[in-house]
Amino acid sequence: MNPAVEIQKPSLLKFWGSRVISAIAAIAFCAGIQSLGGPLADNEFLYRIIVLSGLYVTLAVSLNLINGITGQFSIGHAAFYQVGAYTAGYLTVRMFSTQQIGEVPWLILMCLVGAAAAAITGLIVGLPSLRLKGDYLAIVTLGFGEIIRIIAINIDEVGGAYGLSIVPKIQSPWLIWALAILCIAVCRNLLKTAHGLPFLAVREDEVASSAMGVSTTKIKVTAFVIGSSFAGAAGALLAHYEAFITPDMFKMEVSFIVLTMVVIGGTGSITGSTVAALALFLLPEWLRGLKEANGDALVVSAPQLLGATLAIIAYIALARRVRDHYHGKPIQKAGFQFGVAAASLVLFFLFKAVFAQIGGLAGHEGWEINSLRMAIFAAVLIVIMLLRPQGVFGHHEFSWAWLKSLFVKKKQEAS
Amino acid sequence: MANTAEQETQATLDESATPILELADATIKFGGLTAVDSVSFTLNKGDLFGLIGPNGAGKTTVFNIITGVYKPTSGDILFNGRNIAGLKPEKVAQLGICRTFQNIRLFGSLSVLENVVVGGFLRKKTGLFSALALLPPAVNETTELRKKAMDLLEVMDLADVAQSRAADLPYGKQRRLEIARAMATGPDLILLDEPAAGMNPQEKEALATTVRRIRDDFDKTVLLIEHDMRFVMNLCERIVVLDHGVEISAGTPDIVRNDPKVIEAYLGEESE
Amino acid sequence: MIDLVTSGALAGLSLDPSTLPQQLVNGLLIGAIYALIALGYTMVYGVLRLINFAHGEVFMLGAYAALFVSYGFGYTADAGDIAGGTWTLLAIMLLVSMISCAIVGAVIEFFAYRPMRNQTRIAALITAIGVSLLIQYGGQLFLPAQPPPSISEKVLPADIRGSYDFNLISPDPQLESDLAAAKTAADAADSELEKMLTDTGQREFDLEPEHPLRAAKFETIGEVRSLSAEIENSSVSVTVPRGQAVMFGTVVLLMTLLWWLVMHTRTGRAMRAASHDFDSASLMGINVNRVVTITFIIGSALAGAGAMMNATFLRTPLTPFFGFMPGVKAFVAAVLGGIGNIPGAVLGGFVMGLAETLVVWAGYGQYKDAVAFVILIVILLFRPGGLLGSSKVEKV
Ligand SMILES: Nc1ncnc2c1ncn2[C@@H]1O[C@H](COP(=O)(O)OP(=O)(O)OP(=O)(O)O)[C@@H](O)[C@H]1O
Ligand SMILES: [Mg+2]
Repeated sequence: MNPAVEIQKPSLLKFWGSRVISAIAAIAFCAGIQSLGGPLADNEFLYRIIVLSGLYVTLAVSLNLINGITGQFSIGHAAFYQVGAYTAGYLTVRMFSTQQIGEVPWLILMCLVGAAAAAITGLIVGLPSLRLKGDYLAIVTLGFGEIIRIIAINIDEVGGAYGLSIVPKIQSPWLIWALAILCIAVCRNLLKTAHGLPFLAVREDEVASSAMGVSTTKIKVTAFVIGSSFAGAAGALLAHYEAFITPDMFKMEVSFIVLTMVVIGGTGSITGSTVAALALFLLPEWLRGLKEANGDALVVSAPQLLGATLAIIAYIALARRVRDHYHGKPIQKAGFQFGVAAASLVLFFLFKAVFAQIGGLAGHEGWEINSLRMAIFAAVLIVIMLLRPQGVFGHHEFSWAWLKSLFVKKKQEAS
Repeated sequence: MANTAEQETQATLDESATPILELADATIKFGGLTAVDSVSFTLNKGDLFGLIGPNGAGKTTVFNIITGVYKPTSGDILFNGRNIAGLKPEKVAQLGICRTFQNIRLFGSLSVLENVVVGGFLRKKTGLFSALALLPPAVNETTELRKKAMDLLEVMDLADVAQSRAADLPYGKQRRLEIARAMATGPDLILLDEPAAGMNPQEKEALATTVRRIRDDFDKTVLLIEHDMRFVMNLCERIVVLDHGVEISAGTPDIVRNDPKVIEAYLGEESE
Repeated sequence: MIDLVTSGALAGLSLDPSTLPQQLVNGLLIGAIYALIALGYTMVYGVLRLINFAHGEVFMLGAYAALFVSYGFGYTADAGDIAGGTWTLLAIMLLVSMISCAIVGAVIEFFAYRPMRNQTRIAALITAIGVSLLIQYGGQLFLPAQPPPSISEKVLPADIRGSYDFNLISPDPQLESDLAAAKTAADAADSELEKMLTDTGQREFDLEPEHPLRAAKFETIGEVRSLSAEIENSSVSVTVPRGQAVMFGTVVLLMTLLWWLVMHTRTGRAMRAASHDFDSASLMGINVNRVVTITFIIGSALAGAGAMMNATFLRTPLTPFFGFMPGVKAFVAAVLGGIGNIPGAVLGGFVMGLAETLVVWAGYGQYKDAVAFVILIVILLFRPGGLLGSSKVEKV
């Protein structure tokens, strides 16, 4: 079905040309983020979430390396984030004033320190992964995360439960996004070369990998170290951006959010992690922002919530039936799925109207959308697992060829 | 192909052959069960060697202790004169032994080509940093590995499906891909665990040819497990028979075929 | 106990043998609850090889069910004078808890886990995490949690109020009379100081530290403290609230029932067969779907019983996150005992309870929750099969 592939060495011009272009694009992007502060000066909140979303991209993509690419089910990523934040924050509090170096170079240095501290933690957490698999590893990483948080609460040197305030505050939006781009580039490069294959092989089958001469130990620990060091650097940037960190900022909730991003994006897909991180971070924050902008909370009423729940259940049931029992052309299948979605939307309004008629429920003043955030995350996680366990992007990555094929096909269909 | 018979006799008569793999009283116990009990045999360079026996005889377990999946309870396994008993699987693979699996263990969601590249990656020369920074050495090496993998796929007649997901291949092709992947590690000795299982007669015929080519054109030593007696007897020059972990017979196909112990072992199994 | 908690905050090791017996008893009592929850984890894992992450949340819902029953009978927090509860009320609370948990467990299995059975274990685990988060955060929307309610003490019938006290070593009578004298002296010094303050219109902290009246007060108080400490150190006593004794008895009863059910009924045999080899069991004509449902029902009902008793007799305040830590600890207990192994879960539960109280006893109360994870990591690294289980090697 597929033609035999011709494998050619990329031409020098193309190789270096594309790299220079990517580098320029990355620099331009970071500069753009930095200069966005001007036009968005009167909408500080929006600027802030655009900047901070870079941290979540780093977290999701780095967790994807451990979780999606190498298949080590780690769910305690917040621990590395925290180690980076605390190490860098503490050093700044202690040492910055005596240094003769500028703020940004210092911040870069702190990123490296945070990354190193997190990498060491990653090494320690990675070691059990040599003996544990799947669900056991998940619990152990979760446990490590909690232990680290409890330890931070009990060290008065770093502010205990009250937190650590970091002086000076060093906000560097471009650096946050540069880290995200670096993280994406590193993972992408890994997958572009043969060096990435052993990581994928370990995910697919450890026994077969080791029979092929892959040192599974080395691969797993490497994944943990690289992944955690990026999270550590992100933590360092967070600490200096917020200038105040508390153990509560690194609760299990954060780990679960990052995990949700990876899973929904498609385990193993860097594109998926990135897109999901942006969507899942920006959307709720933006909704929260609506409140601040209008002075009015976006409120979800009880009938709406119940209606949505029932509509989602109906959607899952119907969509599963279409997926499992209807074998047609992809386009027809997509049409059916679309129909199911539309039907569920109709059901939503129907249920909502019915519940609104039932006394009592309508009287409830409802919930602010933000308090629904985690519940919605959880629901989305379940829906994705039930309907598309491989995540939205599956194992696929964005590529120009893919984008082109999309347009070419469209043209053919149009003509 | 016409000269294979000639080569066969040549190989069996070659007295000056150098041993490549030697099992000396290899034994492994799982709790109370002795799955492999003092098994000893020797493979010479260039052998096409068969390992047979009824279900549960311990054949796969022999592969597992050779390749380091399990550590033998006692006994030695010498590969090119070096004791490899208890080494880690990846170390064994690096030394030059590679295998296929009875219950196919491909990297399912990787492409056929990528599966073979994983095999070849063992002999990589560039470091991880070079890859993470996408430096030319790593990129060039990747291209080379892919080229080599593609050549192997041609040999195994899988070139047309190079870009398919391994898990999507039909059974027979998956088995051939397992062999291609093992070959990619550049082994001196290749272990095939029931390579013909689930294949139809034509596929088996093609497989036999391929296995001979592996030995003759690529200079590998082959040790294979197979239940199809005709396949083994036609292909292998020497055979060892296991039953309940014990070696009950060894020799040329003719000797083994007529050994009453072997007949009893197989008949006994059927009457059970 | 209060003393231990405060000394724990000082983050120092304090091994006081006189309080050890009490802590051991406390460990067994809380361990009984962990054991009950651990049974649910272990049974589900045995049959499905799935960590039912939502088990802790089922437990939480059970506690709320008990709370609502108590509300229904009028035992709300702001209820004024109300007669003590009855055994019938307790029984109803227990039953409602168990039944609602059983239903919730079965529903979760049917809607969330059953469709995932053919997927990878990781996909199933993520679904389980999703269900757990959904119940926690969904619960935050619907369940009363501000301030965390707890079941009214008054639901306890009169005959199980109070506690059983055991004096293992009685304090020296001489010390006790000294203490009484010291207390009188302290009271006298205090009232003298008070009187002087009211007379002169001063406040205590305006005084010089060396002011004789103030010095006298502190000296006498110091005397009382040191004597009480001495009495505490020289005497050993154990207090078990009667309710908690009832709780322990009920746990033992439920465990015995479970044992009988698993070992001596057809259903139990089917469960054992399915947990030995799920696929073969289904080939042998066992209705595995039914077995799975029953496993979830039994496991969840046990969690419900544990939740009701935890909320009623240990009187833990309820929040939607109430199930999380007990859930994790019970899971660790199940792994500790050898997951899939029923006696192992019971053993693990008690060990966990003891470990936790011993950490508190040793003065590291703030690490009470961390200890579960430490135990888990250690056991997985050194004896992954658990205490009673055997580790299985993947066949190649
Ligand atoms: N990891 C293990 N733990 C316990 N017993 C094992 C293990 N691996 C193999 N065995 C047992 O060792 C015996 C030999 O198994 P083996 O797989 O080597 O047989 P085989 O000769 O390859 O059979 P088949 O022809 O069915 O593949 C069997 O009884 C098997 O159950
Ligand atoms: Mg076998």
